[in-house]
Amino acid sequence: MTGPMLKLEGLRKSYRGKPALRGLDLTIADNEIFALLGPTGAGKSSTLLATAGLISLDSGRVHLGGRDVTDIDPAGRDVAIVFEGFNLLPVLDVKDNIAFALRSPTFRESEDEIKARIGRTAELLRISHLLDRDVDTLSGGERQRVAIARALVRRPKLFLLDEPLSALDLKLREGLRAELRQIHRQYRSTMFYATHDYHGAIAVADRIGIVDGGVVLQAGTIAEIYARPANVFVGKLIGSPAMAFFEAHVDGDAVRITGNGQRIPLADFGGLGPRTGTVLVGAWPEDIEVVSPATANTSEGRIYAVDNRGFERAVQINGAYGAFRKVLPHGVEMKQNDACAFRILDGAAFLFDAASGNRLSQAHTEERA
Amino acid sequence: MSRSRTTGIDLAARWLFIGLLILYTIYNLGPIFWLLISSFKSRMDLFTMPPKIFFTPDLSGYESVFGVGSAKDSASAFGVFESLVNSVIVSTVGTALAVFLGTLAGYVCSRFNFSGKGDFMFFVLSTRMLPPVAVLVFYHLMFAELGLADTRFGLILVAIFANIGLATWIMKGFFDGVPQEVEQIAIVNGYTRMYAFLHLVLPMVKGGIAATAGFCFIFAWNEFAFASILTTTKAKTLPVKISAASGATGIEWTQICAAGVVLIIPVLIFFYLIRKHLLMGMTFGVLGRR
Repeated sequence: MTGPMLKLEGLRKSYRGKPALRGLDLTIADNEIFALLGPTGAGKSSTLLATAGLISLDSGRVHLGGRDVTDIDPAGRDVAIVFEGFNLLPVLDVKDNIAFALRSPTFRESEDEIKARIGRTAELLRISHLLDRDVDTLSGGERQRVAIARALVRRPKLFLLDEPLSALDLKLREGLRAELRQIHRQYRSTMFYATHDYHGAIAVADRIGIVDGGVVLQAGTIAEIYARPANVFVGKLIGSPAMAFFEAHVDGDAVRITGNGQRIPLADFGGLGPRTGTVLVGAWPEDIEVVSPATANTSEGRIYAVDNRGFERAVQINGAYGAFRKVLPHGVEMKQNDACAFRILDGAAFLFDAASGNRLSQAHTEERA
Repeated sequence: MSRSRTTGIDLAARWLFIGLLILYTIYNLGPIFWLLISSFKSRMDLFTMPPKIFFTPDLSGYESVFGVGSAKDSASAFGVFESLVNSVIVSTVGTALAVFLGTLAGYVCSRFNFSGKGDFMFFVLSTRMLPPVAVLVFYHLMFAELGLADTRFGLILVAIFANIGLATWIMKGFFDGVPQEVEQIAIVNGYTRMYAFLHLVLPMVKGGIAATAGFCFIFAWNEFAFASILTTTKAKTLPVKISAASGATGIEWTQICAAGVVLIIPVLIFFYLIRKHLLMGMTFGVLGRR
């Protein structure tokens, strides 16, 4: 098929006067895993429910597989959905839960076919031994596997996964993420995956959409987003630790980080017109170098906290410009309350408007948003 | 050692607690035991002082309640049986219809938003706030005008009206405990909402339906005020009949006691049948989220 699998245009939805979606646009290609990343209440679930047809939109269109399905009921859309918590119908056992869709008036298959498909899907998800169990005897991870099996067994056009792994513990989550990719490879399916978990999003998805306040702020591959974060919010949601932001002001032909910190020539940010006033400088923590305090043109800070991340250690550095977190390179030892200095690598800084949060710098050559 | 002292206090508290439980049990079961004993006593034994614990059982009370044996066709026949039948019919049919309608209304109130929903829910609840005595006279006039006075059908209507609000509220609570995802899963997978309601949601609130039926049945079975005003002879229910029991030879205590026992038995049977669901249903929200 050519053209996008899913195209959402200007989705709007309010619950009791409180807007959840405010003109959300989104395109997902065929055979793609697309992750919708955003904090709680950003509109992720509403987007998925609207795609499935489970909520009625105030306005906007939903195109699925090249067809406008806005006014088509959920059964006619041929999507499958996996929720975060409640997925399995307690009145059916595992086998019948998986077969649920295949016995419906819309998607009915012969019992022989159902049996074969259950067998294959259960094998793929390694739940063959659970088929005769009652659902309330399953663990959390087993439940989500069964739920994914029920979605898979029907081979829908589009899988909607609403935080399917969030309720599971870390180990299980990592394992199931890998399995989702594996399933995707075997089934050649399109998946729409909503999550608030940055690691989950980049581990699973081909492309990511960052959503907040009911609109998509930016969509693209993780590399594209790293290269051109659209605004401060995107930076704060991407990376681990997330993007560092420094209060700064324009000083002649350069930007100086507050607190007599690093000076970065305006020319480094691309063809910006003459500017004055306060701005925000952003940089990925990986592009920030901790240096000896004697070095010229650096910013000063103080270690506010140190946390252990297994092999590595991260520090939070506070200063007049704000605070940021960074993983320390091996061999660099720092204690709480130590004074330190750091500099942003040449050409690595982004410039953001202090008021709107939008990116101003165009060093990466594309027109302004 | 402080440990043994604590144990001593614990032990004392334990015995105190057991003692209180025994007293409470006697307080509750004593009258029922007395009623049970008295129902098997002859008129002579009944008034013996001090009361006899051992006596020759006499079934005359029950015979007259059911109109069998020596009491058959006798003038002293109490004729409670007819009232028992009235009570059973009015209570079961009234309960069944109230629970049926309350379940449907409760589902709608739990799942759908409609304008005036809050007012509607309050109105439904307010029907239970009304003291029956306040409206009895109007009911009486209305029922007389409509030809419903002294009919079982009229009393069934009263039982429905008195219980539907309670049933709606309780069932709404149980439906609220069922995740929305149940219907969403069904609808996405090609089923109708009606299918989801009948085959998935209803089985999940079985316990709730049983508990609701239990409450409604008790209220309907024990209902006295309306039944005493709206019935005269044919449709008299058991509580009304017992309260007005006096035969040709004064108050028939043996028969009253036997009728009292008969009055208790259906409630016991009903609760015995639904006891498993009841325990589950009483703990609201046990369905959980996952």
